[in-house]
Amino acid sequence: MNIDKYLDVIKACRFCFMCRHLAAVGNVTFKESDTPRGRALLLDKVRMDSKNMKNQDYIKTIYEAELSASCRYHCVNHYDEVGLILGARQDIVESGNAPQNIRTVADDLKKVEFTVEGTGDVLYYIDGYTKNHQPEIASAFLQLAGNCKTISGGDCGKALNVLGFAEDASIVNEKFKKAVKASCSSTLVTSCPASYDALKNDFPIDGINVMHSSEYLLSLGSINKPSKSINVYCIDSDYLKNYNNLTAPRELLKSAGYKLDMFGTNLEESYAAGEGAVIYDEICPELMKKLSDRVFELADNPEKDLIITFSPYTKFALKKSKPDFNAISIEEAILKAKGN
Amino acid sequence: MIFPKFFINKTRYGAVDNMLMSNQNYTYEMLRSELTWVVGEDYVKTDDSDKLGHSIDYYWVPELWHDRGQKGTVPDFIVHPGSAREVSEILKLANNYGIPVIPWGGGSGSQGGALPIYGGIIMDMKRMNKVLSIDPVSMTATVEVGINTQHLEWAVQKAGYSTMHFPASIACATLGGFIAHRGTGVLSTKYGKMEDMIMSMEVVTPTGEIINTLPVPRHASGPDLTQLFLGSEGTLGVVTKATMKIHPIPESRKFHAFLFKNMHEAMAAGAKIMTSRLHPCVIRLYDEPETAKLIKRVLGIDKQGAYLVFGFDGPEKMVDLEMEQASTIAMEQKPEDLGSEMGEAWWEHRYKFFYPPYMFQLPQAFGTLDTVATFSNIENVYWAMKNTVKENFPQATFIGHFSHWYEWGCMLYARFIIDNPPQDPHEAIALYNKIWDMAIRAAIKEGGVINEHHGVGLKLGRMMKDLYGPAFKILQDIKQVLDPNNIMNPGKMGFKGAR
Ligand SMILES: Cc1cc2nc3c(=O)[nH]c(=O)nc-3n(C[C@H](O)[C@H](O)[C@H](O)COP(=O)(O)OP(=O)(O)OC[C@H]3O[C@@H](n4cnc5c(N)ncnc54)[C@H](O)[C@@H]3O)c2cc1C
Ligand code: SF4
Repeated sequence: MNIDKYLDVIKACRFCFMCRHLAAVGNVTFKESDTPRGRALLLDKVRMDSKNMKNQDYIKTIYEAELSASCRYHCVNHYDEVGLILGARQDIVESGNAPQNIRTVADDLKKVEFTVEGTGDVLYYIDGYTKNHQPEIASAFLQLAGNCKTISGGDCGKALNVLGFAEDASIVNEKFKKAVKASCSSTLVTSCPASYDALKNDFPIDGINVMHSSEYLLSLGSINKPSKSINVYCIDSDYLKNYNNLTAPRELLKSAGYKLDMFGTNLEESYAAGEGAVIYDEICPELMKKLSDRVFELADNPEKDLIITFSPYTKFALKKSKPDFNAISIEEAILKAKGN
Repeated sequence: MIFPKFFINKTRYGAVDNMLMSNQNYTYEMLRSELTWVVGEDYVKTDDSDKLGHSIDYYWVPELWHDRGQKGTVPDFIVHPGSAREVSEILKLANNYGIPVIPWGGGSGSQGGALPIYGGIIMDMKRMNKVLSIDPVSMTATVEVGINTQHLEWAVQKAGYSTMHFPASIACATLGGFIAHRGTGVLSTKYGKMEDMIMSMEVVTPTGEIINTLPVPRHASGPDLTQLFLGSEGTLGVVTKATMKIHPIPESRKFHAFLFKNMHEAMAAGAKIMTSRLHPCVIRLYDEPETAKLIKRVLGIDKQGAYLVFGFDGPEKMVDLEMEQASTIAMEQKPEDLGSEMGEAWWEHRYKFFYPPYMFQLPQAFGTLDTVATFSNIENVYWAMKNTVKENFPQATFIGHFSHWYEWGCMLYARFIIDNPPQDPHEAIALYNKIWDMAIRAAIKEGGVINEHHGVGLKLGRMMKDLYGPAFKILQDIKQVLDPNNIMNPGKMGFKGAR
């Protein structure tokens, strides 16, 4: 079983309570099982007796994890509880126990057709949440970045990987790689933190420099700051902060004259509404709504505050739950600062 | 799925005898419907995942039970009330059906207090997590007590204050759990324990009345009800709301550390600091074995002796003055001065001791022999426990530190550790209990009180009669009057079980 590779995590987390305050799903369901301790306990049961792998309640719990990695980031020894959950999902899939709703979503994710358009040295990957729901994000980026090729046509493999369909994820990613190679670009930029993580860590492409849009825009140099700084709240991305420790989004926003106020009460909790699980709105829509509601609850003044979300998924999720929520993406914020 | 054991052979609950035997039983569904009516579908859980999570708290025994592949006792229902009214409705239902209700906060209690040992309803309080108001004039905050204490501290800090409650379990426990156990934090020496921090509380009694204790903690209007419910571990009712003190963020907080030749000299210094009526926010003294084991591991100080750190906070001028006075007292014992850096490092890493791999964990057997005594008795208590463990259980290591200091004495946080307890879970638990029985009784003989902040729970219930003597009857009578059907957390704190 894949979870056997994470025995150290199971043994450490199963009786450890130290990061439960950061268990984003646990904080809205109040379930003990929606914490690293709870999940490690039940996977320990699975490890002891693989028949437990079939337990529908356990499977549901494993697919409800939001994979924010706040716990791993916080943990003194950085035990890889995300790796454990991904391993468990892989075991569930490989043993033929994936629930029907997960299989349906996975089948959909396998249908990809990547196309490259435009001209320029840089290739900009437009993820699903941007392409299908928030074209304003790509549009802002392309206005700021100038001439770029674009690639789109589906998820690059991250979502399938996160659902536990590792083999299918590789197949899809091979198609993606092929399209990228054919574009002859050496720099691949994306606004989507999950894709950034996939291309940087899960499926690196030889000879291709992967950048998050904030890194790329920062590399373009100075932006004329507006005379008066604007106070904004930032909602961090799980993938940029907890998985990749990327500081570029904040640096970019500061360089554009924004004054960044702390959203909520702390910088440790995930307010990304399930971004770590990539397509959480599709597999756990009620939980996505609960996570979003917690964000609205924690906002100082949800009617008025300007909030910058670092992930297209998060912007989509929050706006889906509350269409008038005043959230914009990093790219839109920079465009705004430039007076466009 | 595994379902209720609680109702087997039960006679005291009359009408419901043997009725809720399993989810195949329609009475089970009757109760489920009633609970759902009160709190809503989302907040009644019966899934295997959550039942497992609620069958193990931070008590070593259920952890071992799980580790050895044994079937744990799980609750029948887990409910998340959203208001005192809902708590009240649930308790009335439980009285009606004769089913136990076990309040659950974060499950971080080390005494098994929140375990559903007879099945029944786990009343998980985490949904009641709002900061209701902050009064900047009186410096108090009124909150729902299911709030995670780290979330509470963050919210209060955002308003510019602090609860000054910094336990190692700040991130995992709820305020209600701390109230139930008279818990404490690292800064207790200045800011007090939970019983000093709480002004007043809203409590739902076992029969479902919603009551409030008096609004201020100092009065002469009879015995204090706030203090009665503080430490009652969910056996006398459910705490739903509390008003607690909050504090300004101090201008300065500084620490200093010393290495004494031995624990005795360090204790003399610590006691003198307290009896000189200085007001440190922290004193922590580690005995020689714990200095060698944990201080070395966490802070990297690889020296023989007893490590002591103290800290002061407040206006900087006062901090400097008190720091100087305390250092002078410490230096009378001629310790090695480790400086402020080694004191600050301790503060910075104060929680690190509790994360794996620094914390003890299975396969080790370990227990915290939490005891409190006067300065005249505390060293005798330490030696009585240590010698008992050493002489009777040669396979065990005994280490300890003194964490929470008062004008009259301090708390001993002693631990025993066995690296390889028996594989057989029954044998392992028998050995574990024997160590507790002997060590704690030795401590009580020397004037030690079990326990200072972890509570009694399931673990130490059997010692309550030893500890209180005939006075325990008064507690039993109070329990009987408040909870005539014995639905509230039966079998805990030395009170009678459900059968
Ligand atoms: C790593 C670690 C470090 C720790 N460090 C400290 C420390 O520094 N200081 C300290 O004091 N403790 C410490 N503890 C112990 C533990 O955190 C405390 O005992 C805490 O008070 C338990 O709170 P909880 O919310 O987790 O309660 P639970 O474990 O869920 O419950 C404890 C008891 O309280 C009752 N209860 C819970 N909520 C209510 C309520 N609303 N009304 C009535 N009864 C209720 C339960 O029935 C049970 O009897 C530590 C524990 C861990 C795991
Ligand atoms: S990730 Fe670290 S802090 Fe969280 S439960 Fe596991 S060991 Fe504990």
